[in-house]
Formats: sequence, structure tokens, C-alpha cells
Amino acid sequence: MNLVWGLNLLIAALLLAGIYAAMSVGMTVIYGVMKIVNLAHAGFLMLGAYFAYELFNRLHIDPLLGAVLALPAFFVFGMGVHWLLVRWLPKSDTPTLASLLLMFGFWLVLQNVAYFIWGNDDRSINTPRTNSPVNIGEFSAPEVRVIVFVAAVICLVVLQLIFNRSWFGRSMRALIQNPYAAQIVGVDDARTSRLTFGLGTAFAGFAGALLGMIYSFTPDYGRQFLLRSFVIIVLGGLESISGVALGAVVLALLETFGPQIKYHGEYILPDSLQPAVSFGLLVVVLLIMPKGLASLFTTKRRLT
Amino acid sequence: MTPVRPPSSAGKWVKMVLPWLLLAGLLLLPLGNPSGNVMKLLFITAVWTTTSVAWNLLGGMAGQVSFGFAVFFGLGAYTTGLLMHMGWNPYLSFLDGGIVAAVASVLIGLPTFRLRGPYFVIATIGVTEAVRVIMNNIDITGGSSGYRILESKPFNAVEHYYTAIIAVALAVAISSVIAGSRFGLALRAIKQDQDAAADIGVNPYFAKLKVHAIAAALVGIAGGIYARRAAFFYPGDVFAFNTGISILLMPVIGGIGTVWGAVLGGVIFGMVQEQLDANFPNIHLLLYGLLLILIILFEPDGLVGLLRRARRLFRRRRENPGSKNADQVLWGRGGIAGR
Repeated sequence: MNLVWGLNLLIAALLLAGIYAAMSVGMTVIYGVMKIVNLAHAGFLMLGAYFAYELFNRLHIDPLLGAVLALPAFFVFGMGVHWLLVRWLPKSDTPTLASLLLMFGFWLVLQNVAYFIWGNDDRSINTPRTNSPVNIGEFSAPEVRVIVFVAAVICLVVLQLIFNRSWFGRSMRALIQNPYAAQIVGVDDARTSRLTFGLGTAFAGFAGALLGMIYSFTPDYGRQFLLRSFVIIVLGGLESISGVALGAVVLALLETFGPQIKYHGEYILPDSLQPAVSFGLLVVVLLIMPKGLASLFTTKRRLT
Repeated sequence: MTPVRPPSSAGKWVKMVLPWLLLAGLLLLPLGNPSGNVMKLLFITAVWTTTSVAWNLLGGMAGQVSFGFAVFFGLGAYTTGLLMHMGWNPYLSFLDGGIVAAVASVLIGLPTFRLRGPYFVIATIGVTEAVRVIMNNIDITGGSSGYRILESKPFNAVEHYYTAIIAVALAVAISSVIAGSRFGLALRAIKQDQDAAADIGVNPYFAKLKVHAIAAALVGIAGGIYARRAAFFYPGDVFAFNTGISILLMPVIGGIGTVWGAVLGGVIFGMVQEQLDANFPNIHLLLYGLLLILIILFEPDGLVGLLRRARRLFRRRRENPGSKNADQVLWGRGGIAGR
């Protein structure tokens, strides 16, 4: 175990964290404003990957551009879903099981429609970039991961700017903090919810396209990322974008370094058990820090 | 003075007699010498219905929706498989499958029942995934390649059928007893308002653990019965996320919170699933997704609610608007506010 090897792993973990953050952020804005645990997020991720795949295969559009195109397409799609399904759900300041089951049903529909269209085969997007590494001195990383990381970070920054600097972001924050007070001072709840759902879906589609550049996918593809997204947004305290970034880093570090831990010369976490790490972490975090990692640093006061 | 009041109307008679007639019919059915396919269909339906009724104990009565019942189904299957391999009597193996599942349910419940509502739901998703991954990597059960039960006796469809029917009857009987008991009242109180229930002397944590264990034992037994007939199973099948979903969908389709809703959902699900699975492998989940959306948006009481509405329409008189069970589970509020 030498230093270069360790640093290479660290780089890999950080690159992974960028992607994880991008894929979770859509879920967190929807949760924050509407208190809906969006299980259909997995379906949106999957559709995002197929979106980029189809554009690349039929029109030969670079998957990175495809991911950017996914933003407006999925924004409109998300608003449609909100108009058709989500707006009928009763308002609540805690997540309801109705919303959970509704989004779950919608995920099943998306997944199985995708099975009809694309079948069960593993698909992947292969560009010349897919397998070429970037080398800087002794450090190396796959080029596609670096690109995806940069795209993910840019998208997080843009979202953070929307969130903090625009009127729409301000009404989102108001609804997150206190939905009743927000409506009293004139925030349009229905409109903000619709736009937020669109925004969350747009980022899910975008992240799905980015993930499709790295991993191969099937219609069932979103599930593994759905549970990771849960872990990340719970770690991040469910409602903040910077919390998501923090949660993503923690999960990525754990997933990258966890399998390397040796005890009496044996790996205690073989690679095949790696998926269990995030799920175990999820339960532990829900139990000991239901407000997320941020609660370790600040005492957050909320009006209720 | 007698605590048992005679049923006052024809409706009550029907309600008392019908389950027994149904059970008698099912028990006499093999005399008619039905074909192997029919026996298989009825067997699978009975197994699914058992899990549906068991899920309803926790999800419908106590209002704790769990996506994680596949864990108990799988544990029951594997326990039965391992014990039968060691030469145990199959029926003892089923019971042990139930016990193992109940113990597992307590281990899972101890941490997760500290969570409420959707957080509990999310945690159950995590538990299912983690258990499947672990089972894929355990050597004595053959890991992801599955486990085969070798039985020396010849295959007897009728025996399998009877075991499954007994399991359903057991599940329905236990549910009915709980529904009418003090314990059932406590569960319903927890569903309506956990804090208020705690104030009037119910221990919500303990009550949830108890009902979780009972439900898990039933599902474990069902898993064992399924495994013995299937004779081959693997973690991607019995521990699958989809198995957990199916167990949850049945009572939601039938009508959350009522024993007969869960039975109805299980029967319809089992029949439709077997037919669709054979002909269109993917269409059934699509249908269930659509059905789930429609039920949530339009009739949260499921098919039972639909029937009740149809009956009201038919009779042209407004009776007591029935249970608001689904309202409490799904929307988290009582019947006072309306829908």
C-alpha cells in the first residue's frame, strides 16, 4: 500500500462522488419542496441513459451533448408527470405513503415500457473516449470519468446558483423552510412545485445520461443508483444541495476504500458485498443521524 | 349474558358461513381430479394469498408499510431447503422456516421500528437489497446459483396443494382473531396516531415488533411451502425486490386494512400473475404499475372499496361510508377530514 496507489484511489473516489452528487440532487430538490420520496427517480435515470443512447446511435450526437439536451427534454417531461399525477396528491409537510406508492407505480410503468421498447439487453454508449485514460505523472483516471465529473460539478454549481440567486430559487427555499408561511407571503405553491418537479426530473435525466456514458444499462438500471441516492440525500440532511455533495463524497469514499480494508490479512468486504455497504450505511444513518451529517456541525433551528 | 351474540341479519350470516364454505370447497376440490396446471395455479395462488394476508397484518392493520417481506419469504425457503436436505420432516422444516423468519423480523425490527412512516419504508428497501447481496455470497446455500431440494418421495401435487391451503386458512384465521382482539385495536390505534396510542397505554414499539414477527412467520412458512414444490430456488428469485413488491401490491390492490381485501388481492394477483407470466413475461409489472397509480389516485380502498361503492350505488342508500382504512395508511389522516 503506497502513497501513489492511495492517491489514485482517492482520485477515483472523488470522481465517483461527483457523479453521485449529480444523480442525487434531483431527488433532494423534489423532496425538499414537495416532501415526496421520488421512487420514479430510478426510472428517470434509466430514461436519461436511453435518451443519450438513442441520440448517439441514430443521430450520432456526442453523449455529452446528449446529456445537455436531456435537461430541457426531461424538464418538460417532469412537468408533464407533475401535471398528470403528482399534483393530485394531498399536500403534506411529511412524506405520505400515497406519494411513495404512486411514484413507485410510475417507476414500474417506466421500467416495463422500457422493456417493451429496448428489451432486456445490456446497452452501452461506446465513444473513442470510453477507454482512454488521462495520465498526469503517476496518476491516471479514465477520460470519460473526468469529463463526467466536470459536467456534474458544473451542473451542481448552476443549480446552487439558481437556488441561491434567483426568485424561483428563493420561493423554493421558502417552501422548504415553511410551506404555510411561504404561501402567506405570496409564493405560488402550485407553480413552484411544478417547476421544481421539472427541475428535479431534468437533473435526473442529465445524470442518467452521464451515468450511461460510464456504465452499461438495462431498463432495470436505475435501482442500484436509486438506493445510493437515498443514502446520499439522507446523509446530506434531505433538503440541502451542499449536503448532497457531502453525502456523495462520504459514500464514494466508503465504497472505494471499504473493500481495501484488511483484517488479519483478509479483505473483510469482498467486492461482491460492496452493494451492501450503502444499504447498511442507509439504515445506520437513518437511525443515528436522521437529520444528516450536517447535524454534526450545526444546530439547525427550524420553525414548525 | 353470553358474550357471543347471534348474527342479527342475513349479511352477518353470509359473513360467518361463507369462509367455511370456501374452505370446504377448496378442501374437496382435489376429489374432482383437476388437471396438473389447475393444481399448480391454485397452489401458487394460495401461497401468494398467505403472504398477502400476512403483509396486511403489519401494513394494513398497524399501518407500517414494508417493502422488505421478500427477506422472510426467502429465509423460509432457504431454511426449509437446508433442513430437508438434512433429512428433516418437511412440515417441521416449514415451521422452522417460520421461526427463522420471525427471529429475523425481530432483528430487522429492533432498529427499523425506531423510524416512522416513509423512513421505515426506505429502510426496508435497504434491508431487502442488503440481504439479497449477502445471500448471493453465502457458500453453504450455493450462493447466487441457487439451491436444490432433493426429495426421495414421488411428487404429490395434492399434498402440496393441501399444505398451501392450510397455510392460507391459518393466515386468515390468525388475521381474523387479531382483527377482533385487543391487540388488533392497539394496532389500529398505532396506525391512526402513534403518539396518542402511546398516551393511552399501548407500547407501539413492542406491538409493532410482535405483529411483524407474526407476519414474518406466516410469510416464512409460505416461502418454505413454495420452495418444497419449486424444488429449486435462488436469491435473485425468492429474495428479489420484485417478490417484496408483489407481496405489497396484493393487499393494496385488494384493499388495505381488511382481511378479505388482502385475500381478494392475493387471489387475483396469483391467478393473473401465473397466466401473464407464462404468456407475456413483462406485461404484468406494467399492469400492476398502472393499477397502483389508478388505485392511489381514485380508490385508495382498493377492490374492496370499489365493491363497497358499487353496492352503495346499487342499493341507492347511503350507509355508513365504510372503513377509512386506506385513508389512514396512505394519506396519514383519519376519516373525519374526508377525502
